[in-house]
Amino acid sequence: MAKLQQVFKRYGLLILGILLLVAPLVSAQYQFYVLERGVQNAIHVMGLLILIGYSGMLSLGSAGLLATGAYAYALLLLKLGFSPWLGAIFAVVITTLVGLCLAFPAFRLSGPFLAVTTIGFGEIIRILILNLEPITGGAYGVSGYSKLFANELHVYFFMVVALICIAIGTERLGRSRIGLALKATKEDEIAAEVMGVNVKRAKVVAFALSAMLAGLSGVILANLAGYLSPDSFTSAESSSYLLMVVMGGMNSAIGVIVSSIVVTWLPEVLRFLSSSRLLVYSLVLLVYLRINHVPATRERFLGILRKFGIRRAADAAEDPCGERGAGM
Amino acid sequence: MTPAILIQLAVNGIAIGAIYALPALGISLIWNAAGLFNFAQADLLTLGAYVMYALVVSAKIPYIWAFIITTIVMGLLGYLLSRIYFYPMIENRVNPHIVLIGTVALSVFIQNLLLVIWGTTPKSVVNPFGYMPFRVGDIFVMPHVVWIVAIVSVLLLLLQFFLRRTLIGTGMRAVAQQQIASWLMGIRNDRMIALTFLLSTAIAATGGVLISAVFPLTPRMGSMIAVKAMAAVLIGGLGSFSGALVGGLAVGISETIFATLVNPAYRDVFIFAVLITFLIFKPGGIFKAEISEKV
Repeated sequence: MAKLQQVFKRYGLLILGILLLVAPLVSAQYQFYVLERGVQNAIHVMGLLILIGYSGMLSLGSAGLLATGAYAYALLLLKLGFSPWLGAIFAVVITTLVGLCLAFPAFRLSGPFLAVTTIGFGEIIRILILNLEPITGGAYGVSGYSKLFANELHVYFFMVVALICIAIGTERLGRSRIGLALKATKEDEIAAEVMGVNVKRAKVVAFALSAMLAGLSGVILANLAGYLSPDSFTSAESSSYLLMVVMGGMNSAIGVIVSSIVVTWLPEVLRFLSSSRLLVYSLVLLVYLRINHVPATRERFLGILRKFGIRRAADAAEDPCGERGAGM
Repeated sequence: MTPAILIQLAVNGIAIGAIYALPALGISLIWNAAGLFNFAQADLLTLGAYVMYALVVSAKIPYIWAFIITTIVMGLLGYLLSRIYFYPMIENRVNPHIVLIGTVALSVFIQNLLLVIWGTTPKSVVNPFGYMPFRVGDIFVMPHVVWIVAIVSVLLLLLQFFLRRTLIGTGMRAVAQQQIASWLMGIRNDRMIALTFLLSTAIAATGGVLISAVFPLTPRMGSMIAVKAMAAVLIGGLGSFSGALVGGLAVGISETIFATLVNPAYRDVFIFAVLITFLIFKPGGIFKAEISEKV
């Protein structure tokens, strides 16, 4: 059993990738769509892992960047007549540049102040999309742009391969110089700067990478949905991405992939609650934070788990978060 | 464009600004006492407004009694929130980022709870102040403007009296200044922080009751007001009593003028732009909280 765990630790990402690649063969049409959305969310959340998990900068405007990517792709194709692949590349570049603008407030602001700035940023983008009707279609949304792949399955395979590459990259980034610099900045910015860490450069890299991934995820979203409206990019959506990164343990790429897919799947399991998807999300997040971060409650909770014989799970949860998924 | 129109707009803005000042003040109080920026303050205000709706429209309780019951119920809710949820986290020195995420989750939770219980249809509570505007020179003043300003002023005076002149208020200020020292002096930090949550939630609920007289209620209203309250508190200066008030009034007046003269669709964009400019160039706000002025 211990050996099996080790294998999981080392080849977790590979196993996950293979599982995702064979999933379309065994899933029904609708389940497959949910899975697609889960993988697409995972790409976006991977960027948040770099931003929130590694560097501790709380961003609540990520839906705004997702919207930038998706709309940039759709509008470049519709209004300027770009070919799909060129449009996709330009959309990712535009989103990265927009996201870079956010790095400048982050030089001076931290904690709640930065969070408020990012909320403002996300809302400004949403309001602009809603009101610049001649360009963006306003509340009616845009549709009718051509897609990257004619076959839906190909989009999925492209996504999974991209996700696995990004996950490996993110894990490696976490252990590279720049990743360590980000983690040092998270612990204590002044101490990091005194130790010779170039805090500004680290922050710029973090924002640029997360914006790039949000842009890529937005392009894929546009390809999956075929229709974009400002309603899918509200600040409430940003907080569901927050849930995905927090539930993923804020430290591992595998955790992010699993939690993104599970959280995207959650409303399917809880179908009887229909419209209250975000209610469930936020409740789960509230309870999780309270249980996981207050030692006394955590002990009691693990005690209950043991009583019901879910011993292994409880023991695994006692592992410090950092150990999980450190293999690949 | 005559000065009379400007003054007219400013008068309308004052009422709404006074309401924004209430959750802003709550954010400031909690920030001082617990070092925690509460993103859910405006949603607590909305929750208060809906409780008022349930009491007045559904349960048909007289307006004044409903007002009092709403304030008390919401105050108790704030107390419980601190006792059950936030204080244990603060006590265990959980990373501030995590607690911040907790308040965001609370905000989303309240919004969707309202959505599930009351649905998306806007609900309106009767306006108890009447609809007959009276005239001062060239300016028409709605009665609710006068009432709202009066109620908010009385509330703020009472709060100042409580914080400055009573023993419990002094204890709360002591906790805000130096937690460890005040604990050594025999002040129970957990109770004082819970009391701060109680006060700020009750204040937010009062704001909710006042806003329910003017605007129809929707579950998403919280995020709209949250924007204004956060702008108010950060423009005014986080942690300062007068800052929250001045910030609230400034936001209320300037957004009313902007919406009328320029374009109502971009009102929130304008507020955010001002807010972000302030954050970047003057992060302390207008009244940077001095220790002596800390609420």
